[in-house]
Amino acid sequence: MAMKSGYVIQEKVAKLLSKQQGRPVLRPIKPLALKNEVANRRLRKGEATCVTEMSLVMACWKQNDFNNTVCSKEVSAFYTCVEKTQAQNKASRKQGGQGRLLPKEATVLLKRYPNLSGDI
Amino acid sequence: MAASFGRLLKPWKSSLCFVRWSRYNPYYLDPDPSKDAHSVPESDLSPEQKELRELKTVRPIKAALSSATSSPFDDPVISKFINMMMQDGNKILARGIVTQTLETMKRRQVEKYHKSPPNKREDIECNPYAIFHQALENCKPIIGLASIQKGGKFYQVPVPLTDNRKRFLAMKWMITECRDNKHRRTHMYEKLSQELLAAFSNEGNVVKRKHDLHKMAEANRAYAHYRWW
Repeated sequence: MAMKSGYVIQEKVAKLLSKQQGRPVLRPIKPLALKNEVANRRLRKGEATCVTEMSLVMACWKQNDFNNTVCSKEVSAFYTCVEKTQAQNKASRKQGGQGRLLPKEATVLLKRYPNLSGDI
Repeated sequence: MAASFGRLLKPWKSSLCFVRWSRYNPYYLDPDPSKDAHSVPESDLSPEQKELRELKTVRPIKAALSSATSSPFDDPVISKFINMMMQDGNKILARGIVTQTLETMKRRQVEKYHKSPPNKREDIECNPYAIFHQALENCKPIIGLASIQKGGKFYQVPVPLTDNRKRFLAMKWMITECRDNKHRRTHMYEKLSQELLAAFSNEGNVVKRKHDLHKMAEANRAYAHYRWW
């Protein structure tokens, strides 16, 4: 299947573009070729972090008229939470997908072996 | 991606380059002008610090800024404040203003010290640098607001701030408050020293502005879940 796959795909594309069988399904403006890069995006949308600590700080503020010296314990807890989540984010960003390539790594590889469009 | 950084270090060839947007190659390390960092003997260093020292013998280092000195009076916070006050590149004027501010603060505190009874003298802080740092700490906000779009409308969402952002906001508020809201015939150093001494004792307009921001954040706490980071 791997050996035949390129040929099979070309046949299918030719059928989609042909005018022999009524109107062509595809009418491409640009050439049907993949780009030599991968889009840099995160699939899962994250959620708000440290909301509980923040609400504790705000409750303390409301009780003590926004006095920061009295609320210093809650504030330091909030800061530690923020630092922890930042460290977690950094670690997870460098980890790279568990078997999947990172978008940046994929782009580097594709640029080394690019899809040639146009003359050399 | 350290391997790719090394490839960027091509030997220099004479050609035209655009200076306005030029940056250092990320391969270059930051300089450390303080004497203390280099006078520590090998035995006292942790393994990461030893690694860093070895790295510094191999990698190229950026040129130090002309405002960075190896003297013990070199304070990065005060340097940042001077840079933020500077207009049109007039660093001499900005530095002069800040020096005069520190001197004025010291004079006021020493006057207060000599006028106060002996039992209260220990509580009066005379070191202008300590007063500056404490005043800036008192002006730093803890939670900020970010404008986030959801369903076509923009909401002010309470958000944790980074240390750099807090420091920037505190300094910016201080400078704008002294420039705009004071009597026009007073010198900048007088205005700054008044405001810094007030902030040191948690009074004054800048601390009030910080409290206003906190109140807004507290009022908008329902929108905290609109964040995604």
